[in-house]
Amino acid sequence: MEIESRLVRLCIESACRSGDAVKKWRMQRRTLEHLPSPLADALLRRLLQRRLLSPSLLEVFKICVEEADLRGEISVDAEWMAYLGGFRYLRCLNIADCHRITSSALWAISGMANLKEVDLSRCAKVTDAGIRHLLSISTLEKLRVSGTGLTADGIALLASLSNLLVLDLGGLPVTDKALKSLQVLKKLQHLDLWGSDLTDNGVILLEKFPRLSFLSLAWTKVTTLPNLSSLECLNMSKCTIKSILGGTGDKAHLAKLQIAGATLLNEAEAFMHIEPSFLTFLDASHTQISRFYFLSSMKSLECLDLSSSGIGDDSVELIAQIGGNLRNLNLNNTGVTSSGVGILAGYVPNLEIFSLSHTSVDDIAIAYIGVIPKLKAIDLSHTKVKGFIDYGDAEPDKVYTLMALQSLSSLERLNLEQIYIQDDALCSLLDFPGLRHLFLQSGYLTDLSLHHWSSLHCLKTLGFRDAVLTNQGLDSFKPPVTLELLDLRGCWLLTEDAILLFHRKYPRIELKHELIHVSASDHPLSNFPSKSQFKRTPPVNINSEKLFLSPTFVDQRLKYNRGELLALQYSSLSLQPNYGDGAIFKMPTD
Amino acid sequence: MQKEDTVKLISAEGFEFVIDKKAAMVSQTIRNMLTSPGSFAETQLGEVTFPEISTTILEKICQYFYWSMQYASGKETEFHIEPELTLELMMAANYLHT
Repeated sequence: MEIESRLVRLCIESACRSGDAVKKWRMQRRTLEHLPSPLADALLRRLLQRRLLSPSLLEVFKICVEEADLRGEISVDAEWMAYLGGFRYLRCLNIADCHRITSSALWAISGMANLKEVDLSRCAKVTDAGIRHLLSISTLEKLRVSGTGLTADGIALLASLSNLLVLDLGGLPVTDKALKSLQVLKKLQHLDLWGSDLTDNGVILLEKFPRLSFLSLAWTKVTTLPNLSSLECLNMSKCTIKSILGGTGDKAHLAKLQIAGATLLNEAEAFMHIEPSFLTFLDASHTQISRFYFLSSMKSLECLDLSSSGIGDDSVELIAQIGGNLRNLNLNNTGVTSSGVGILAGYVPNLEIFSLSHTSVDDIAIAYIGVIPKLKAIDLSHTKVKGFIDYGDAEPDKVYTLMALQSLSSLERLNLEQIYIQDDALCSLLDFPGLRHLFLQSGYLTDLSLHHWSSLHCLKTLGFRDAVLTNQGLDSFKPPVTLELLDLRGCWLLTEDAILLFHRKYPRIELKHELIHVSASDHPLSNFPSKSQFKRTPPVNINSEKLFLSPTFVDQRLKYNRGELLALQYSSLSLQPNYGDGAIFKMPTD
Repeated sequence: MQKEDTVKLISAEGFEFVIDKKAAMVSQTIRNMLTSPGSFAETQLGEVTFPEISTTILEKICQYFYWSMQYASGKETEFHIEPELTLELMMAANYLHT
């Protein structure tokens, strides 16, 4: 849960500033006992992020913490678990990806009275013996053990946890027999069996779970799924599918279906038994489907992913027929062209996210996209869009196409990476006051277009990659105050110093470049970022490393104006052998 | 200063802080107390008593109200919190929705 109060957040920051700060409050036992659990949970999380948490410090939280989220923390081991076992009101324990957790470490949490959720995902050292320790926690409602060392025998033991609502057995050798022993879990609503050894014989047993609403059978040998009347979400990605939900009884109100990368033996047969009117989400990406007639009755679809499928302009008509509710449409890497976009444009009044990356759409499509009124995000990367239409001699002036997007008042995100776009074609984007994320990547971009973006007042992310951007160009760029991330990867003319100088001026902006990665400063007030904020990519430049050793060191570039600095640079060329400290006069040769 | 422009915040020990009403309104809880319809004592007298907040913490809270107003108007300074106050201040802030 995110803490809303700013003062609470400031307090947590202050409490977690250093080990000494922790010492100042950790003895306040009575106060800690009264700490409301959302605050205690947030404090614990922040301590963990700041690497200040140790088993002995855990002890002070034993009364107040209800949710302990320690996932991915490599130091968590049996000693930590011993303290966590003493947390009297612990309701939720997440130790996913804590690789030092063993079966015996779980002994500490056996019999905990209030524990409802446990996540042990990918703790590979937890085996059947470890699961036995959990069986005494009868309150358990959610258990995630995907990717652990459990065998079919261990899985069968879970049958005694009769309150389970959510069970994630992903990547485990669940056999038909093991599933049979789990039938007694009548409350089960969510069952994840991806990558299991289940077959068509075992899958019939799923009818015994009367409340099952989420089921994943991805990466299994299952081909035929019987009718499960309570089912709402189904994942059969990477399966070979014969039929879904065939059989008698009440039809399932399936709302979400994922069949990414699946092989459909016969499209018509596979979809025949699905009640199409409830389906709001369909992911059929990376399938070999070539006929899409099944789409025609799915009138409620809000999210449709057909990327890398066999769809082309001839089937777009079918999407147009059911386009009324569509919000998110992904046609990346398909045969759809500009004329396909033309067919669609008038029939998707609610479309918010439209992806056409890696297709052959060109500038003609932009005019069509401009009439889809509610668009918030458009992805036109890796397409043939150029930003203008050249009519040759007939019309001497270029016709800029991105203008057509100006009618889209809600547009927030625009991806134009890897297309041959030039500075002049981008000028029309300046009239998008609401644009928050803009991604550009083209070798034709120069200093000129970077300066345009100063006037976009909501811009948070700006990708300006592979451009012919000079140090001077970056230096004179005045980023909008809202900017959080500036991606300059591939701007090969920039030097490390120029990027650092920019960071010094705008410490709140995170910068990405091959030479250096600068995160936004945690404390906006400090003028000098600490050394740890710089993640370097090799080769490390020893000279500028020295610049940050002393917090009082004044960068020479701030002391001199540009002309003086240039003079200094050249003087250093001749004088360099005499200077011991090369940090001040760094050669612009790299 | 006009009386109606200020409020009196009273700590557990009975110590009184008289501050600008609009500063106190930084706290959603105090705002609700002062603006709620009806004739609550808080609304009538412009006085709020916090029997669970100590004087030290309430003083810090008042400082925060003023800092917060300054911050909102563009003066971005740091608000320093002594580590030993963090736990109690956090609880008070949570209660005051500030």
